[in-house]
Amino acid sequence: MNQKILEAKNISKSFGKVQALNDVDFYLYKGKIHGLLGENGAGKSSLMNIFSGIYQPEKGSIIFDGEKQNKLNPDLAAKLGIGMVHQEFRLIENFSIKDNLTLSKANIYINDFEDAFYKYSEIFSLSVSSDSLISQLSVGEKQKIEIMKLIFNNNKIMLLDEPTAVLTPQETNQLKKSLETLTKEDEKTIVFITHKLKEIKEFTETIFVMKNGQMVAEDLKTESVNDKELITLMMGEISSSVVDKNNKKGEIKLEVQNISVENNIGGFNNLNDINLNIKSGEILGVAGVSGNGQVELANIISGIQSNFDGKITINGQDVSQKGVKARKKLNLSYIPENRLGVGLAPGVSILDNSVVREYFSASYGPHLSSNKMVNYLNLLVKEFSIKTDEPKAEISTLSGGNMQKLLMGRELISNPEVIIAAQPTRGLDVSAVEALHELIVKQRDNGSAIMLISEDLDELFKLSDRLIVLYEGKIIKEFNINEADTKNVGLAMAGVIE
Amino acid sequence: MNKYILSKKTVVNDLATFYSFLIGLFIAVCIGSIILLIQDQNPLNVFSLMLKLSVGSINSLSGSLNKAIPLILAGLGISIMNSVKLWNIGAEGQIFLGAIAVNLIYININISNSNLFIFILLISGFIGGSVCILLPAVTKVVFGVNEIITTLLTNYVVIGLTIYLVNGPWKDPKSLNFPAAAYVSKEVYLPTIFGKLSSGFLICILFVFGAHYLKEKSVFGYEMRIAGGSAMTAVYAGINAKQKAFYAMLIGGGFAGLAGAIELLSQTHRVSPGISQGFGYTAIIVAAITGMRPIGIFLVGCLFGALTIGGAVIQTIGVSSYIAEIIQASTLIGALIAQFFFTYQIKEVEDA
Repeated sequence: MNQKILEAKNISKSFGKVQALNDVDFYLYKGKIHGLLGENGAGKSSLMNIFSGIYQPEKGSIIFDGEKQNKLNPDLAAKLGIGMVHQEFRLIENFSIKDNLTLSKANIYINDFEDAFYKYSEIFSLSVSSDSLISQLSVGEKQKIEIMKLIFNNNKIMLLDEPTAVLTPQETNQLKKSLETLTKEDEKTIVFITHKLKEIKEFTETIFVMKNGQMVAEDLKTESVNDKELITLMMGEISSSVVDKNNKKGEIKLEVQNISVENNIGGFNNLNDINLNIKSGEILGVAGVSGNGQVELANIISGIQSNFDGKITINGQDVSQKGVKARKKLNLSYIPENRLGVGLAPGVSILDNSVVREYFSASYGPHLSSNKMVNYLNLLVKEFSIKTDEPKAEISTLSGGNMQKLLMGRELISNPEVIIAAQPTRGLDVSAVEALHELIVKQRDNGSAIMLISEDLDELFKLSDRLIVLYEGKIIKEFNINEADTKNVGLAMAGVIE
Repeated sequence: MNKYILSKKTVVNDLATFYSFLIGLFIAVCIGSIILLIQDQNPLNVFSLMLKLSVGSINSLSGSLNKAIPLILAGLGISIMNSVKLWNIGAEGQIFLGAIAVNLIYININISNSNLFIFILLISGFIGGSVCILLPAVTKVVFGVNEIITTLLTNYVVIGLTIYLVNGPWKDPKSLNFPAAAYVSKEVYLPTIFGKLSSGFLICILFVFGAHYLKEKSVFGYEMRIAGGSAMTAVYAGINAKQKAFYAMLIGGGFAGLAGAIELLSQTHRVSPGISQGFGYTAIIVAAITGMRPIGIFLVGCLFGALTIGGAVIQTIGVSSYIAEIIQASTLIGALIAQFFFTYQIKEVEDA
């Protein structure tokens, strides 16, 4: 019964200086659903990409069905029957369902397509004709077609990368039933990748946990493992340097009252009755698994998103109806999660990008003073030690760390009253992270009210004075920083309140 | 194992576009020479004749510069729209509608002061060009319809309208069945500066600096650049990206419309299907070669004007005028290829 269909040993893989996978062991039992749990960047996707032949490991061996596979490439993986459903669907939108399902030469239902389609439509409770175009389907239906594609291409191992991220709760339940049927009737082996605790417990029979490119737990039986253990494994111990928390707090600078945003796709509201306030000299951490309303909250406070119910007050002034520029004039700064694309405009020069926040202050009527712009950039370069040699070069020629320094410097140099910082250090190396943390703390001591949205618990614990946890658009729990630990915050992130 | 990738150069030489243009021109002359050799013509003779007859005398030089005016103005319009990363393929139609607008105002109002009248007619031309691009602009901003398609299609509508007008309501009974509207009176001709050179050339120079200022030195130009770089960054910065795109399109269309007005008031003096000889399309080449820089558009526009005249005159020695178009087109291709190598480098990287 417990036959291992795939066994990987000592897999290592690095990208440049970053060690994505470090000596990882992983194995799959035939006909079971395996959970692979880990935070963003833990190495889950890299490992899966190795199994589907997209990446080649530098070290380690892969044994499939008793046979050692030395050079696994996408072609060979497909031949062996290892298939993956990526988070972004790989369907051809203006082809019919049938064309998409039968596209590959590995397809095994050429002659009896309709029978097979009928059978699996039952299993997935899909009620659309095989002639429908993919573009007419809902997200949930598209995903069913993606999984069906794996079945039609005779894949024995199905790797599902965050399959529930796009689904409503009802669809999630349906998916669970379908996957169980597939393992029982077709003996499919499934890997279910997620960072959601609740789902890993519902969907899987055995759980593997990754952290920082390593496999920290193997083959835990789902029925016997508890949430706290998993959280500890996934989050690890907090090991960050200490920031002095004896900061003086002043009056309330930012107040958010009863903010709600409806979600017209279904499922939970994007935001549901959010109330919070931040004082001068205080950092409020916002924790939560991504996609639980963080982006919406930041966009609403900064004025980018204008359709919402509720009230926002900056420095005593009601700004609910005001635009982005009016809020900037009240000295609100926003460091968006998406640094290149939102915070900085790609394809535009470093100089132009350096004045996005206050370009109007470099203007005399319709005239824009390039002298003032250059001076401003030079000031930023000096104050925030940004490495750049050519102001007219495109912004993308800067390194990630320097890009983020430019963006943060631009947003912080005016000593703002309120700062919204979303994922300010994501993807940066340790020294850049330290430098940016120092900036945030300095700004706190200068009296800014700071909202720090992050998925990095180390960062949140290190910097925040208070912590709120967003779950399905609600503030599910609020912590004083001294009562917060990885366990209770992690559980709240998973939607569990004790 | 190492592999090679293309990566963008950090520092691109300021004059890269200019060098690319020279390289492109050189390639184009080589290609032109090969074609001439195949036709048993001596390229040296042909090119020197072209040179002589396009810039060799006051008369030919001024003729060449006259041809450059619509290329430059329409090219500037294209370059302004490109600031928001939009393409104007409809300059040809906008030139026609600019001329039609001039004639419409000319027929319907009469102002005794001829300078003032000319001024009003020029403004009418500008507005005509803007009106021509109004529908593509609205559909772009409201529904996101691709402006390349809509501006291109508008050309056919406007050229159809021109043919209707000159065969119908505006048909000049004295034109002996030639499809054209009646001539405008001499009072509204644009005066000449020297030789045959129309004072439209001065207007053109004025607009070159205007466009340069608008694109590079104004708040509006900055907002256009950010909006063109990333619509999300524009929203983040509080810039109304759609509004910028809308204005950029109206201004771009207006520039081409003004070209039509100048062409009518200085060259054809009447609306006819010959108002533009593909100026709107050649202007796309001019703008693209120069990397959308107004000063460059001025210089390349002048050169292309001369090429057009040169191409026309060499027909007298039995060489097809298409040689000029071949040179124009291969200059673009050569310059774009050269540009690529100025902006990118081939890098060796370790296989990750």
